[in-house]
Amino acid sequence: MSHIEASMARQMNMSFIEKLGSPAGVQEANQEAGGFIRDRLREQAYVRTVLPPQRLTRADLQVSVQHDQLVKIVFLEPRSRAATVNFRGDMRTNFIRGAKAEAAFFTIMSEKQQKTEQELLSYDFPITKVIEDNLVKDIGEIEDRVFTINIESCVQAMQVEKNGGSATALNMTSVQAGTVVEYSVRKGELARNSTVDDAYVWPIQKKDVIDGKRMISRRRLKPFMMLLTEPDYDNVSSWTIEDTGFQIPNDTTTEGFKSNMLCSLKYIRTIKTDILREGNVYFFTEARFFGHFFVLNDPKFYVDKVLNMISFQTWEDISMILANVQAVVKVELYSADASTVDIDGLRSNFLPVSEEDLGALNNRVDQGVKFPNITASF
Amino acid sequence: MAVPNLTMEVVSDITLTQRRSYALADETLIRPDNAVNLYGGEWLTFDASNRLIRASNVAVVGNAATKRSFLLWMEKGSLDAQMIGKAPILFMADWEAKTLLFDAAAVVGAGAAITTVLQGLKAATIVKYGRNFTGLVGHGGAADADPVVAVVTKIAGSDGYMQIMRASRA
Repeated sequence: MSHIEASMARQMNMSFIEKLGSPAGVQEANQEAGGFIRDRLREQAYVRTVLPPQRLTRADLQVSVQHDQLVKIVFLEPRSRAATVNFRGDMRTNFIRGAKAEAAFFTIMSEKQQKTEQELLSYDFPITKVIEDNLVKDIGEIEDRVFTINIESCVQAMQVEKNGGSATALNMTSVQAGTVVEYSVRKGELARNSTVDDAYVWPIQKKDVIDGKRMISRRRLKPFMMLLTEPDYDNVSSWTIEDTGFQIPNDTTTEGFKSNMLCSLKYIRTIKTDILREGNVYFFTEARFFGHFFVLNDPKFYVDKVLNMISFQTWEDISMILANVQAVVKVELYSADASTVDIDGLRSNFLPVSEEDLGALNNRVDQGVKFPNITASF
Repeated sequence: MAVPNLTMEVVSDITLTQRRSYALADETLIRPDNAVNLYGGEWLTFDASNRLIRASNVAVVGNAATKRSFLLWMEKGSLDAQMIGKAPILFMADWEAKTLLFDAAAVVGAGAAITTVLQGLKAATIVKYGRNFTGLVGHGGAADADPVVAVVTKIAGSDGYMQIMRASRA
């Protein structure tokens, strides 16, 4: 950062502190930060691409009589059917009933960030803006984590149902032995033909994408989108001319895979490999066949100053409901078992890490690991 | 008598208390249709995986908590808790609350009946409203090795609530 930029950043930090010196200034600081946060969040979480957010107000919700909680009642389409009859015949009656489900709300809240105003002045970059960005990203990560846990629950629930009501191990061994039904979860082509049940993630094959689509197509649903990690997506660039024809290998060698569709599916790729773990590829229908993502309160940004201590925090209130559990399936690019049976003891490699472990730092500066490694004493 | 909806209320300024949300070892305890579902005013502690469990064995009446435990601040079947599988506890700093989940007459281990203001209280499994809870019973003082989790600030009145505050060394 140049001297001029550093000076501007220090001025920005100073200006931010000065605004907090009056109630009107605090409100202005809150409003400025609030507007900025909304723009950033729309880009961040992959759940918001799979399930476009719907903003709700109190008027759209019901209140529980047991506690002060709000819930959105979601309706599912009723069942109906037809059959052939004789001229003298008739069909039986269906007393109409549409299933309903409740979507309750919860809060995602960032850590409270605190700093003395004196120490804030020591930064040569606009740390308050960096914090605003980071708080927003933190919230988006939790949205994705909740979503990922729930889509995994959907596919595992269907696996249990189709395997006689019992959780059944799904690894290379059980697939080759034919002792498991691959209904909502399927091993990838290379994984199912490996020789050991382990956590090694095989490159995604074109057939894996087709198989994922077919799992959904078999249910009178249309596959629309797939979700995979960036490392898994990178393997698409290594598909040969047998899978892609002549042109694409030329392009991928120089520019990477450019299309925004893969085998007629839209795809989302994410670098959040601690949330969507490598080797897990999910396929979805359109949102209207799957579920909802509701926003009750957009992210609110709180900033306050008590004496010389400045505090920042942000939170939002959302809900999500995955009402049609058959609208999502998964292809696993590894041979080990990721079901709740966890027969290989490797399931933790394929589930989102805990909230506490999210956002681990890459740098090791605080541990003194940097190069060239010098120590400057002031 | 059915369990009242409001089994515990905080009566001090909640902003002065650090509340935390922790994952439950058994998320089904939040569901209102669970026969031993959690109620506000019960006492929870941490298992080896840093997840919340009841401080005492709810299946055994008179089983006392032996570890430091925390007050659950949540109504039965709270929907946000069901959504995220976490429960809010009063984690740090002092608080005062009123609770229905206590047994004034029970003597658990080296404990004593609840009779006086500022008497120590400990967490143990009690029977009330026809089911078991991890609630409060009287502490026996120096001879009682179980941890004190709260002290009485007001003996139960006609409304049935006993008022308590966090024990400073719980």
